[in-house]
Amino acid sequence: MISTDTNHQQETIAAQATGGGEAAIAVIRVSGPLVPGLVSAIYHSPPPPPRKFARGKYRNVRGEVLDDTLHCRFPAPRSYTGEDVLEISCHGNPLIARSILRDLSARGCRLAEPGEFTRRAFLNGRMDLSQAEAVIDIIRARGDRALQVARHQLQGGLGKRVKEFIHELLEILAGLEAYIDFPEEDLPVEDPEGPVKRIQRLDTAVARLIKTARYGALLREGARVLIIGAPNAGKSSLLNRLAGHDRVLVSNQPGTTRDAVEERIPVGDHCIRIMDTAGLRSHGDQLETMGMRKTLEYAEEADFFLLLLDATLPHPALPVSLPGLLTPDNTLVVHNKIDLLPNQTVQPWGSDFKQISLSALTGEGLDDLEAAMNDLIEATNPVAAEEFVVIGARHAEALETASVSLEESHSLLLNHEPTELAVSHLRTALHHFGEITGQVDNEAMLDRLFANFCIGK
Amino acid sequence: MKNVFDVIVCGAGHAGCEAALSAARLGANTLMLTGNLDTVAQMSCNPAIGGQAKGHMVREIDALGGEMAINTDVTAIQFKLLNASRGLAVQAPRAQSDKKAYQFRMKHTLELQPNLTLFQATVTGLIFENGKVVGCRTNLDLDFHGKTVVVTTGTFLRGLMHIGQNKNEGGRMGDSSAKTLSASFLDAGIELQRLKTGTPPRIQGRTIDFSVMEEQRGDPTPTLFAFHDTRQDSDLFHVEQSGEDRPGWEPGVRQISCWITHTGDQTAEIVHKNLCRSPLYGGAIEGTGPRYCPSIEDKFVRFADKPRHRLFLEPEGRSTNEYYINGLSTSLPFDVQVDLVHSIPGLEKARILRPAYAVEYDFAPPTQLFPSLESKKVENLFFAGQINGTSGYEEAAGQGLVAGVNAVLKGRGEDPMVLSRQECYIGVLIDDLVTKGTLEPYRMFTSRAEHRLLFNHGSAEMRLYHHARKHGLVCSERLQRMEAKKQTVEDWTARLNTGRTPNGTFGELVRRRESDIPFPSEFNYLSAEIRSEILYRVGYEGYLKREQAQVEKVKSMEGLRLSPGIDYGRVRGLKKECADKLAEIRPFTLGQASRISGVTPADIHILMVHVKAGLDKKASDRPEAAL
Repeated sequence: MISTDTNHQQETIAAQATGGGEAAIAVIRVSGPLVPGLVSAIYHSPPPPPRKFARGKYRNVRGEVLDDTLHCRFPAPRSYTGEDVLEISCHGNPLIARSILRDLSARGCRLAEPGEFTRRAFLNGRMDLSQAEAVIDIIRARGDRALQVARHQLQGGLGKRVKEFIHELLEILAGLEAYIDFPEEDLPVEDPEGPVKRIQRLDTAVARLIKTARYGALLREGARVLIIGAPNAGKSSLLNRLAGHDRVLVSNQPGTTRDAVEERIPVGDHCIRIMDTAGLRSHGDQLETMGMRKTLEYAEEADFFLLLLDATLPHPALPVSLPGLLTPDNTLVVHNKIDLLPNQTVQPWGSDFKQISLSALTGEGLDDLEAAMNDLIEATNPVAAEEFVVIGARHAEALETASVSLEESHSLLLNHEPTELAVSHLRTALHHFGEITGQVDNEAMLDRLFANFCIGK
Repeated sequence: MKNVFDVIVCGAGHAGCEAALSAARLGANTLMLTGNLDTVAQMSCNPAIGGQAKGHMVREIDALGGEMAINTDVTAIQFKLLNASRGLAVQAPRAQSDKKAYQFRMKHTLELQPNLTLFQATVTGLIFENGKVVGCRTNLDLDFHGKTVVVTTGTFLRGLMHIGQNKNEGGRMGDSSAKTLSASFLDAGIELQRLKTGTPPRIQGRTIDFSVMEEQRGDPTPTLFAFHDTRQDSDLFHVEQSGEDRPGWEPGVRQISCWITHTGDQTAEIVHKNLCRSPLYGGAIEGTGPRYCPSIEDKFVRFADKPRHRLFLEPEGRSTNEYYINGLSTSLPFDVQVDLVHSIPGLEKARILRPAYAVEYDFAPPTQLFPSLESKKVENLFFAGQINGTSGYEEAAGQGLVAGVNAVLKGRGEDPMVLSRQECYIGVLIDDLVTKGTLEPYRMFTSRAEHRLLFNHGSAEMRLYHHARKHGLVCSERLQRMEAKKQTVEDWTARLNTGRTPNGTFGELVRRRESDIPFPSEFNYLSAEIRSEILYRVGYEGYLKREQAQVEKVKSMEGLRLSPGIDYGRVRGLKKECADKLAEIRPFTLGQASRISGVTPADIHILMVHVKAGLDKKASDRPEAAL
């Protein structure tokens, strides 16, 4: 039978089952042999009974929480595809869905091709033979739509850039392959350093392009800025000051803010989403502790941090998990209440961090803060505006996997390992670039080889 | 002579020899027709077998019961392992051949082969009945009938040789061309196109000054092509020794050197001054030549900044004083060739025995074939070798073997033997040809294989063992030895990967490239070839597993057969351009379909559903099982 053979060695596939864009929730569907192992690996808890929803924290391969989700598993064969299926309902933010998909591919899944779930369902006998034509129509429609989206993206900067990458990669490959396939030719002396440098440069360029994908998300979604600090350091006052209205209940009773509050505020050229959270401290009532846990969860998702300190008090101790997240590239240290300081000098926090002194009460220093925040966001933008490229999740994944292969080949060449091993990784990278532009025929590499080298013993 | 055969092989070049031998060895009553029995297995171009990817294919041919490897081992005059300083996957054996010895032994092997009839006659046309081939006509007005016919015409189909403005009809200097056969193909609806190739001048050895050249010796320990550990000793015979009790021929003794020189100071000027007299540049040649084997004109024009080009002087055999100038292929007029040769250091006084020439010939674009090498247009007709647009003795021999086996299987009504591109270079070769076709004479390179690391030359028997067993390509004794060897390699690979030493497993020590690893003493008793294979598998475990995983991914698609009768125009959901492509190529498996340019993943899903739903079948024609 065909079905038994096609199920053999089946890959596990994943995709967002709900439409893209903002929605209350997004559903991610995973199907294939990896599913049974995934549930406990992700949720650090035993899998729930079949077809029953369970709530849990989605943790990525590094153990970091990505979202609070509902998940439900459908063991084979009683599932949509007839294989082991896991459905994950996460919050509707596209960034969350994308980070979950990225994590699933790190765990060995691959993004499903258009219509692939339906095709598998059909091949596994989950649909009647009479539905074959309907299945074909679904695949065709999904395929066409994916093609349209891809074409649209390729017409933009992405296609041009990836073609440049492919061009450079083919040149590198041709240079290496010439020495493998034509050992007796009168070629110039092999220069092991050349390809190492070129791969390094190529990878840097790919990494820059991947960054624009993240920056693009920042532009669309707004950078997420989390205000953190000790209770009553003035977080809510600062937020109100930035937002220009009293949104948050302010009192000098510590711990007033129990839920996270989100505010969209224009800063310079950007729109940022400021999240004010419950204060961080080691003790407190139960509700407060929950709020703090929430703060730590938000910290995982934040793009930038404002560490707010009360300039009149000694620096508080931060929860242990927090300082690791703060870097000079993503954090501004804000010393509040300078109006209460006689000489206005503050004790800097950390080395290399930008320090801002202000008074949320009087508004003094607020311009400095806005300018510094604008600079911080701009600094993450790797390219000039006209070079900006829109990249979808599938393409971003392809670029990231290509980049991993480039790095592998780079380190092999650097360590003088056999060239053919490095080439094996470079070809994988070429394959991933090909997922964006269409696969590149080996003939293209040979064209370069014979154009660049005089072969002909 | 009874004029009815199971298989008729037209042509006795490298493709024809393997085709005839494999068919006869499978027990088919086989006829081999050639225009000249004295040019069986002739090396029309360079006197060498093997090299990168080619050497790999020769070993694959041996694993499949072919003759090229053993014939080379016994007759070669120099052996060299290429890329010896690189990893095992890209090392390849190469041998300088004694052209005459090679031919003599091959001819004698054909003569001794049971079930095989040799006959000298030029095939002038094919006999068709109801769209099928049933035999062929010859210049002697003798007709021969066969269930299947294998055509291996090389460069002989309307062959036209150029030396400057001088033109001669023929497939090779000294031999006539097959003129009327092309018409027979055209009548049958088979499309033909032109290709071009070239060969350098041959010179007389005693007129060469070797003292100014660099000597290139063979390896002291030859790397052989045949798997002598599973073969029988009686395979090792030289023609003059056949019939003797003990053959005693030792491959690799009495090796002969090649010599390296380069073009001289005046060579470029001579070429440039006479470019207008080259038929390549004058437009007289319409066929496309190979990029990897440019003429000396091409080298100086396209790489004008390179002041000189390296040349190899290769002896053509033990019993001749003729030398081949590797790297000096040209179609310039003879008087220019003389000047060219005399401009080369060491050849100032050299005498040319045979001029260089370019040859144009017809080939049948190979997308007209199934992966079994059977024509899509004419049933029971198989093609192998240069007629399929390839170049090289090894490429031809590999196809010949596959075509011969499949001609027999077809006659018996059995499923064809299809080598996949995931298991061997011959599979890559045939898949490329029938899926993508070719615009120049196709030569194999290791870079054409997606999974080169899995294709080290020493593993050919283990990779192809299942074909040899399934189709009975080698005798049962050899099969048993092949199986035992495979088992030994697998067992020891596992044993070294898990066996512990005080400093970690053997596997870890191998991967750390430690010297003096204290292997168990039984390991050291294994043959050098087996040990090297085991150490390769252990040392490169991570890479081999990674490539194997990629192979497994596509296996399900490679296993899904597509009926040749699918009417792609009526498959719901396929775009017209895609349906047209599929209808032209008529892929054998879904995997092959996925490699056709312009076929998208969505199209593949649609095809899968289509086949599964049985929409491609009538009740009488049930879905075929996976391969």
